[in-house]
Amino acid sequence: MDGTHTMDDVDFDDLRLRARRMRATCIRMAHDGREGHLKSTLSCIDLLLALYGTWLRVSPDDPRHPDRDRFLLSKGHGVTALYAALAEYGFMPPSLLDTYAQPGGALPNHACRHALPLLEISSGSLGHGLGMATGMAYGMELDGRGGRVAVLMSDGECNEGSVWESAMFAAARRLDRVVAIIDNNNMQAVGRNDEISGGMPLDDKFRAFGWAVRTIDGHDLPGIVATLRGLPFEPGKPSAIVARTVGGSGVSFMEDQMMWHYRSPSAEDVERALAELGVAPLHRATP
Amino acid sequence: MRRAFADTLVQMARADDRIIFLTGDLGFQVFDAFCAEFPRRYLNVGVAEAHLVDCAAGLALEGWRPVVYSIASFLTGRAFEQLRLSVGYHQLPVIVAGAGGGYIYAPSGVTHHAKEDVALMSLIPGMTVTVPGDPTEVAELLPQLARLPGPSYIRVGRFGEPRLDSAEPIEVGRGRCVRPGRGVAVLTTGGAVIPAVKAVDSLAVEGIEPLLAHFHTVRPLDLSLVNAAAAAASTFIIVEEHGIQGGLYNTVAAWAAEQRSPVTLKRLGPGDELVFGNPHYDDLLRQTGLEAGAIADTVRQFWSPD
Repeated sequence: MDGTHTMDDVDFDDLRLRARRMRATCIRMAHDGREGHLKSTLSCIDLLLALYGTWLRVSPDDPRHPDRDRFLLSKGHGVTALYAALAEYGFMPPSLLDTYAQPGGALPNHACRHALPLLEISSGSLGHGLGMATGMAYGMELDGRGGRVAVLMSDGECNEGSVWESAMFAAARRLDRVVAIIDNNNMQAVGRNDEISGGMPLDDKFRAFGWAVRTIDGHDLPGIVATLRGLPFEPGKPSAIVARTVGGSGVSFMEDQMMWHYRSPSAEDVERALAELGVAPLHRATP
Repeated sequence: MRRAFADTLVQMARADDRIIFLTGDLGFQVFDAFCAEFPRRYLNVGVAEAHLVDCAAGLALEGWRPVVYSIASFLTGRAFEQLRLSVGYHQLPVIVAGAGGGYIYAPSGVTHHAKEDVALMSLIPGMTVTVPGDPTEVAELLPQLARLPGPSYIRVGRFGEPRLDSAEPIEVGRGRCVRPGRGVAVLTTGGAVIPAVKAVDSLAVEGIEPLLAHFHTVRPLDLSLVNAAAAAASTFIIVEEHGIQGGLYNTVAAWAAEQRSPVTLKRLGPGDELVFGNPHYDDLLRQTGLEAGAIADTVRQFWSPD
């Protein structure tokens, strides 16, 4: 999809700079917090950027506004990407990123709403975000609110049966304010998503459940932005965006490498990655 | 109890426009009045317990007061993670209503037996756990649960249970001293209070007057009533339609251990076993001591006039 000609209001150079900086930020957090999941974090950076930079109607000045768009990170293990996006867009001071994964801090290594109340949900166990999103969407509909509900899920998460229970409900209730964005990096913790989950691709699965579906390149920022602007894809249907992504995207030695699901980067890894990205992290350097 | 549950729900929905009811495809014709009056606040999500609870959590995050309803064994077992995380971790005021708790579905087989619902729900921090003994307790407790800041569980029995004869108030977290007495205390939760009353009343002619304390709320347990019972009696006979682990007996036993109480504990109820053979409910209650004769015999066994 080529939406670049209709999006003069979007500064893609700025987005691309932020994309590199968010990756650098996440890599430093993973090193300092001695936590992994970089593979799953880096694959969804561009999706989060497009959401926070161009689409979500939510403001740092009033992050709990009743008519805001709701964003739910259902793949809670990718939380550093969300923290980086929230810092990029003024929802938290960048200095808070220094506290990532510290005991008692606001930024644990899976999203926790008690630690960071501006989050819509806590996550860490897969397969809950979509169901909660549908409940929120139905409640907003009853209240006559205009906000939309976006859920970012992993493809491995779609192994969970609860995802399909919720997909069924969203279609039955015609919740077209719901959009499920699937970070389809085709890598799970120890296997490939397409091998584990059988022959039918995710887009066909969602379509079979009554959803309107688009499959896109999850690293093509103009394409992502244009796709989001087309929501809902069909009135009366929930929308799914199957975003084809690369695990560890943006750092050559991490791309599509299974070990970067768990591995925490060494100081040398950080140095190499930051040199490749050519930009400093958003938060202060660590010794 | 189910009629009381459905009727009370209608009244609650009239009084509070944030009440919303979600069923996991259970309750044919039971909720017709609710559905007719509040069609948008009635959701049959299908045979999908995981979604039932996640969806309710989402509604609660938007300020709604969801009541989720399904068969107790499926709701508390299959959706345990959703209850633990989406409801419990998020500390949301969702009412979880398990229909047919205990062995009400005895003839339907092991799949439908729910002798661990109270145990499972008691494992979730912040969860208030109630097991009403009669339709009046259902009707009184349900609106109170809807005013709690956190989640709650209510076991809802079947249709047409007898009413408990007691003037004691019905308040969440407070036990009811149904019959004063001494020497022996019968402690009940759920429908076991009905045969217990019958047993206690039948013993009066023999000069045997045990205390009868009923706990519709297992968590938090009303320790003031437990202490009062311990002051009046040296033996507790705990009668519950629940497994040994995680129910009233376990809770009282933990209290006794912590207090170093000299009270003797005796339990009547189902054992730690699978129940095969599709028994009739009433037969199963008889077999497991949940009937007036067995309760009276046990009281006699421990009775020592002072």
